[in-house]
Amino acid sequence: MSTVGNSTNIFWQESPIGKAERQKLLNQRGCVVWITGLSGSGKSTLACSLSRELNNRGKLSYILDGDNLRHGLNKDLGFKAEDRVENIRRVGEVAKLFADAGLICIASLISPYRKDRDACREMMQDSSFIEVYMNMSLQLCEARDPKGLYKLARAGKIKGFTGIDDPYESPLNCEIELKEKEGECPSPVAMAEEVISYLEDKGFLQNE
Amino acid sequence: MEGLAIRASRPSVFYSLPGLGGDSQRRRPSSDGFLKLPAENRKIIANSASFHPISAVNVSAQASLTADFPALSETSLEERRINGKEKAENIVWHESSICRCDRQQLLQQKGCVIWITGLSGSGKSTVACALSKALFERGKLTYTLDGDNVRHGLNRDLTFKTEDRTENIRRIGEVAKLFADVGVICIASLISPYRRDRDACRSLLPEGDFVEVFMDVPLHVCESRDPKGLYKLARAGKIKGFTGIDDPYEAPLNCEVVLKHTGDEDSCSPRQMAENIISYLQNKGYLEG
Repeated sequence: MSTVGNSTNIFWQESPIGKAERQKLLNQRGCVVWITGLSGSGKSTLACSLSRELNNRGKLSYILDGDNLRHGLNKDLGFKAEDRVENIRRVGEVAKLFADAGLICIASLISPYRKDRDACREMMQDSSFIEVYMNMSLQLCEARDPKGLYKLARAGKIKGFTGIDDPYESPLNCEIELKEKEGECPSPVAMAEEVISYLEDKGFLQNE
Repeated sequence: MEGLAIRASRPSVFYSLPGLGGDSQRRRPSSDGFLKLPAENRKIIANSASFHPISAVNVSAQASLTADFPALSETSLEERRINGKEKAENIVWHESSICRCDRQQLLQQKGCVIWITGLSGSGKSTVACALSKALFERGKLTYTLDGDNVRHGLNRDLTFKTEDRTENIRRIGEVAKLFADVGVICIASLISPYRRDRDACRSLLPEGDFVEVFMDVPLHVCESRDPKGLYKLARAGKIKGFTGIDDPYEAPLNCEVVLKHTGDEDSCSPRQMAENIISYLQNKGYLEG
């Protein structure tokens, strides 16, 4: 009987210090704030603003974004469809570890497919997956075009670019939706405050 | 390569239990965890701690990348011109959230990776538990990455084939690095039998932040413990490629802490071993902000 394969030799390790103890130490509850939206919708800006505001309140957070991870953990992945799925899966698993550590983990990725985002939600227990949808119009995002990628996509130099020739599947039931108000995008601080209000209401900014 | 971590030769701290002993030459801790610029961008220097460059965009592929918001200040543009030419349309600056030092300040500790390596049954998980408990009692935040725990989540797609074992360790190294960047004292507890794989993880981190702890316990002691019954299965030929039986374990040549089994169970307690690691961390400044 060969057991070179998964599972049978793997045992769960119990540790006396668990999530409850860590949350007590940090005076917060670990969770994942998953920011999704088109390129240029302001995900990274919100992530930065949010972590700064949380830090001001003495709360520990950390940003996981596609870029940081693609140069480290996910550097073996390309942009083929299956690699994109795997990219998101791994981010979800790491975010879960961070939440278990008691951190407020801010994941900031386009993550265009509902199935992939929902799979990450499934990894978490006890409603600690907070999906934030940056519902900014394609027009606004393209007008910003901070990395010049829309221009390249329109010129046909990038294929499969979300919003141009690859779909973005908006969330059907996210916790927070941020959108333009009367054609104006709210400030990063205002948007961060909205997320923080939600976290506060749900008890993530204290330990109970 | 990320960052500018340079490996220098490392004197190890050798603990032959009970108590401290052996060569205990100390190193000065590396610089505090300030933002590291990627190596390829090191000529571009942020004029303010609140800005940092995003790595170059690979425009031949779609990027799920950061920096939707350019925030190209006049000063940052000037900096790029100083280098002789506009470095990149590809590099987008945006205001940083908070830096590693902010988190260190909040947590009153410095993030690092405690990499506990050794044979199955050498006591890695036991020491990891004791260490996390002892650090918690001091108000320090730790998180343990255990080979088995991670194989149920992040690494559940991996088997025990050679290349997957390497990948298992690589991924754990990368995640441990992230935890250390948060400011967490990340305890990684896994056999990790090959020097090359452990050294690869070491190279991911800034100098000093990777603390290799070798559980120096003879095979016969580990086998007599056999806490999971794996040695018995391996001896019966029911597991192939089991470390120590029919797969090698390459002991570290130059690790920071050696926990050597002396046979004296009283002075060899997990708590004692944890305290030895804590002494090391304290001396190197990891237990303060």
